[in-house]
Amino acid sequence: MALEQLCDVVQRCQAIKDEGFSPEDYDLFFTAGRTCLEQGNSAQVLSILVDEKNKNIVRCMGWNLLGPLVQILLKKEDKNLPHCHAILSHLLEICSPKELLVGLLEQVEEADTGSIAETVTLLLKPLQTVLLRLGMKKASSVGMALSTLLSQVARLPVPVTKEQEEDDVFGLCHCCTALLQFVKPFVEEVKEGVKDNNRISKDNELRVELLKFCMKSLSKPLLEVQLKDPDTLLKSPLRDFATEILIILSSIGESLPDLLSRNVLKRREVPGFLEEEVRYPKESLACLSHLLFVDHIAVDIFPAVLSPIFVLQCNMEYIELLLSRTEESHLLKGLVLYEKSLIRVEDNSLPVDLLELKTFFSVPQNLVKVMTLCPDQTLVSETFCVEVTCNLMWFISIVDFDLSLLTSPQRTKGLKVFQLSIDKFNTEAKYKFFKGMLKTSHHAGVEGYIIKNIKNQIDFSLKPCNGNDWFLGKHLLPLLRLVLCLPHGPETDLLQNLDRIMESLNLLRYMLIRDKEWENETGIWTELYKIEDNYLKPLRTGLNMSKAHYEAELKSAKENKKISSKDSKASVCTVTVDNEKLPNMTPEMQIQVLQSAVFTFDLIESVLTRIEEIIETKERPLS
Amino acid sequence: FMMAADPARAWSDEQLKGEEIPKRELITFIQENAAHSFLSEHKLLGNIKNVAKTAKKEQLIEAYNQLFESKRFKGTEVDAVTEQVQAAKISDAPKEIKTEPVDEGPPKFTKTILKKGDKTNFPKKGDTVSCWYTGTLEDGTVFDSNIPATAKKKKQTKPLSFKVGLGRVIRGWDEGLLVMSKGETARLEIEAEWAYGRKGVPDSKIPPNAKLIFEVELVSID
Repeated sequence: MALEQLCDVVQRCQAIKDEGFSPEDYDLFFTAGRTCLEQGNSAQVLSILVDEKNKNIVRCMGWNLLGPLVQILLKKEDKNLPHCHAILSHLLEICSPKELLVGLLEQVEEADTGSIAETVTLLLKPLQTVLLRLGMKKASSVGMALSTLLSQVARLPVPVTKEQEEDDVFGLCHCCTALLQFVKPFVEEVKEGVKDNNRISKDNELRVELLKFCMKSLSKPLLEVQLKDPDTLLKSPLRDFATEILIILSSIGESLPDLLSRNVLKRREVPGFLEEEVRYPKESLACLSHLLFVDHIAVDIFPAVLSPIFVLQCNMEYIELLLSRTEESHLLKGLVLYEKSLIRVEDNSLPVDLLELKTFFSVPQNLVKVMTLCPDQTLVSETFCVEVTCNLMWFISIVDFDLSLLTSPQRTKGLKVFQLSIDKFNTEAKYKFFKGMLKTSHHAGVEGYIIKNIKNQIDFSLKPCNGNDWFLGKHLLPLLRLVLCLPHGPETDLLQNLDRIMESLNLLRYMLIRDKEWENETGIWTELYKIEDNYLKPLRTGLNMSKAHYEAELKSAKENKKISSKDSKASVCTVTVDNEKLPNMTPEMQIQVLQSAVFTFDLIESVLTRIEEIIETKERPLS
Repeated sequence: FMMAADPARAWSDEQLKGEEIPKRELITFIQENAAHSFLSEHKLLGNIKNVAKTAKKEQLIEAYNQLFESKRFKGTEVDAVTEQVQAAKISDAPKEIKTEPVDEGPPKFTKTILKKGDKTNFPKKGDTVSCWYTGTLEDGTVFDSNIPATAKKKKQTKPLSFKVGLGRVIRGWDEGLLVMSKGETARLEIEAEWAYGRKGVPDSKIPPNAKLIFEVELVSID
């Protein structure tokens, strides 16, 4: 029987001097011990282990029983629990802390997804006990433990709704709360060192391990969590966890404002720079920023005296990171952080030198990417390629991207924030920003939106006392030349560039009406002949060509339809989008597509004609 | 005609080498037409008088010719902003972005000394200052403080440290701390314009157009 075997090996080992046990001894002890425990003989095992005569044996071999012991404890069968707990306590006291640590962490690491929460909850106190026994040498072990624990906890599903957080089915909230208890004594130890003038070194090992822990927590799980505000959920373990992490950072000597401004103020010449980078992962700092400025966590330990522009500057780094992600939750966080940072700043106050910072351009560009990609990213199509059966390929560009018709709430919000970011720039910065976006965005919808903004700025500048050098006077014309142009001359695809063309025509029409010829505040009238030659005439040519084209196609499509009306369900053509074939397009659909193209040209033409009329009227000599 | 038409050479080589074109005219032309970074590299930024003093005629002619060769005119620089090179260059030094000083008028804060400092050590722009402070609204609401409740805890916490005069804090603080000496405790009453202005701080205790009152102790200057 297992119990007899256990007694045998123990008795035999009592005689061995200086703990010179053989591998076979270890094996026997382990197998016998395990079987006993599994068979429910925990009381007997306990009495063997606590026997003073067996102290050395237990110290060397006892920790190997951790595995089976933990498994039994996890099963929570009342009968054996008290004895098993007693065995555990005894082992924790007697065995070598390092070996115990290995054994315990192994159990944590090997826990399958379903039992992570329970395992962690069970083993946190034992782990803490063991680590505290390590005294001055505990730092790296604490680090190892925290890393293992967090890695497992991070695998737990994150609650999304407040009910899920309350129910905590998978145990994430419980584990987070327990982790805070776990780190408490280590935090206190570092705090003791920080207080008075006894400055603890930045490189103090334990401090660094705690810093790593906080940074890792900020990344997982905190970046994935959508915290609920107190009105929605009064008692939120996750909010408490987030708060405590920030407090811990502060307690161990990491000033929150300094953390926030790291990426803006860092100097590349600092020795050990790379290590610094690793210690303060940008993703974690991004989460920190979001917690502070969106979730308003730990506001009472964060100074209220920082300049809003400086805060924005710091946050741009994190916004850029978040907006470059593909996960929707991260994008949303970036968007809201951007919004919250912008609203603190006065309109028209951001100076032009900010645009020399990479992030002030890259963030709006990222934002545009977010707005122009479909959320599930399966279709980015703005062109339909319609193959007509008679072997002629016609590319019909249908711009389904009209910024004013965005339906996804994310894109609507994105647009709102994009406009907000424009509003905060001062006049010169707006000018530089518009110029930059027109040169780099290569997207008709965005260009159209920028052009509309330019029009608003010109309108604003024409009002009394608003005059400036940027949207009037000598700088305006170079900007207008970027607006009033066709990217590919008369061959420019008018449909694809619809948004841009309509807005630029609207702008031109506005200026010709608003800025009287004899005042010419904007300089448009002296520029007009150039605009006619380089823009209006090629546009007119292109328009006429396109209209003729599509009207002819429409006519033949209608005729085809009549001919094959008996087989009206048979498709006339196949439609491919981004090299993927869609369900075939029927003749009706084809006609609709062509018809709407023709309508679009009519639209362009109406504004163009109006402009031509205005010009003609002004140029006609008065009788 | 998609891009801005490049400026044309106004002067020939002979004209440049001769006496008829004053340095200032040359500088004006280059400043008006060259990209910011070009001017920066050729040390041609700033007040024309000063540039004229430091730059020799030969240098200016060189720059003028360089400009037309490289075509680094105004308006060609925006694309460079988005390149890594520019970004790397910029992020070397800590960037001090200051808000535009609007046409001034009187300072928008008042200072009352509550406890005198050493009256000799005043912080300069860029120095790191450390302070304890409490901030209240006009109605007495405390919206921020870094002074812990008990004296014992004060040993464990650190005063707020930051580089003064660089626009990292509200203007009232930047200006107020520059006129405080080491050890001084003062009461700073800062008008909204040099605090959080018309916006206030949304989602916080600071409403729009709030005048802020701070009791600040300047502990140290580095």
